[in-house]
Amino acid sequence: MLNMRGYLDLLKKQHPDDLLVIEEEINPADFEVTAIIQHLMNDGKYPALLFTRPLNLKGEVSKFPLFINVLSTRERCAFAMGMDFSQCKLPLALEYAKREEGRIPPEVIPKDKAPVKEVIKVGDEADLREFPIVKHHYMNPGPYITMIPIHLDLETKAYNAAFLRMQYKGPRKLGIHMAPRHNFEIVRRHDAKNLPTPTVVVITHHPAFSLAASNQAPFDSDDYAVMGSIMGEPMRLTPSETWGEDFMVPADADLIIEGEIPANYREAEGPFGEYTAYFGPQLYRPIIEVKAITHCHNAIYHDVTTVPENQVIAAVTMEGSFYSKVKAVIPTVKSLHFPNSGCGRLNCYISIDQRFEGQAKHAASLAATLINLVKNVIVVDGDIDPFNEEQVLFAVATRMQPAQDVDIIKNITGNNLDPSVPGELMGSKMIIDATKPFGRPFEELLAVPKKAMDRIKPLLQKKGLI
Amino acid sequence: MKIFNVVCPKCKEKFYAHWAMFRHKKINLVCPYCHHSFDQEESPLIEE
Repeated sequence: MLNMRGYLDLLKKQHPDDLLVIEEEINPADFEVTAIIQHLMNDGKYPALLFTRPLNLKGEVSKFPLFINVLSTRERCAFAMGMDFSQCKLPLALEYAKREEGRIPPEVIPKDKAPVKEVIKVGDEADLREFPIVKHHYMNPGPYITMIPIHLDLETKAYNAAFLRMQYKGPRKLGIHMAPRHNFEIVRRHDAKNLPTPTVVVITHHPAFSLAASNQAPFDSDDYAVMGSIMGEPMRLTPSETWGEDFMVPADADLIIEGEIPANYREAEGPFGEYTAYFGPQLYRPIIEVKAITHCHNAIYHDVTTVPENQVIAAVTMEGSFYSKVKAVIPTVKSLHFPNSGCGRLNCYISIDQRFEGQAKHAASLAATLINLVKNVIVVDGDIDPFNEEQVLFAVATRMQPAQDVDIIKNITGNNLDPSVPGELMGSKMIIDATKPFGRPFEELLAVPKKAMDRIKPLLQKKGLI
Repeated sequence: MKIFNVVCPKCKEKFYAHWAMFRHKKINLVCPYCHHSFDQEESPLIEE
């Protein structure tokens, strides 16, 4: 069965250059982890980082190593899905979308067989200060857990998982922010009945679990079944400490936190450095009161960064379903990509072989309006690779006239974390048609004849130049 | 989203809060730098 240790061991064996192990004492709560990540990013490097001696929130060397930046490249996302690095572009996205459509029912195992139950701490023994929780950016009010709460809906009895930010506020207290989507609705339903919302936070599991938690399955789908399909095996579940069989938890997680969201209580949370690369403002949000922490003996503490990791996860998990939905209407769509430059959501590039007038804009309009998160869509011809941003911008520079090829959709639901949205949610969208004008001659791209390229290649190979 | 800037009356650092959730409401803000809890009217500067 899939777990984090297995992934780490395989990464060390098969892609050792993708892993940087730091054995020095590092203080995650004093920005030292994100400083390392930022320095590496400034140098164009995005390794997964394993800190073997991070300090915990008590200032002691933590028993739990910290593993971070794991999914900051598409290659390692592909690896997490059991695919080759080389398949990290559209094939990865399509494979994710295909598995997202499936359902594999979870399996139940007894607590005494569940790795996540090897160490159990309840009540005052459950202490978040044991962990190397990361303080990421300067305006964050404290360390944040950036992993995956799971909630159970009162009415549908379906479990729902999502990446949500959780502010450390005390040894057994977290603030939690939810955008108005599935988890928000589950809490709202509990609040309406004045009931606390049971919450299980999965800190560490196999990285495929993290990818799977970003699924876009409907509200009444059981996320354990969806996630099992994405991971390629049934999710093994075991009863929680706090609610027993009334709330089942992932048995192969390294580390989970059990808690409750008190009904109808809110307090200040944030600001927080979001995936937009800006700080979202301080909000009025619920809290989690921690009841239990359970983990396996050699548990690793996992953290997902916002930039670029959250952006990459969003792109990988959305591209396939977007591609399929647009291609269902426009069969000549070739590829689709959400670049990091658009935070993995805000900008969308689509390539298409146009067969009829207006197809390019039709494809772009579909992509622009599928969900509120997408703001700008650039559609290009099939000879332009949407995964190559320089090519996309070249198409904008040379195949687009703003007067006829730019369309604005006004007064439409925007992305509420987009700092440019002036009000609460209402924004606008832009479509740029950077395809060659349909039905009239257009200039040819310059190229050196292939025969000359092939003839001269051996000379350069002999000199070791190519 | 619409935000407003405040300055913490204790440590004088500036941060911002969600306008619709907090502005003109009797809900304390919490400074992310020094964790001082305060009414927005105590802020020496409010920008909106």
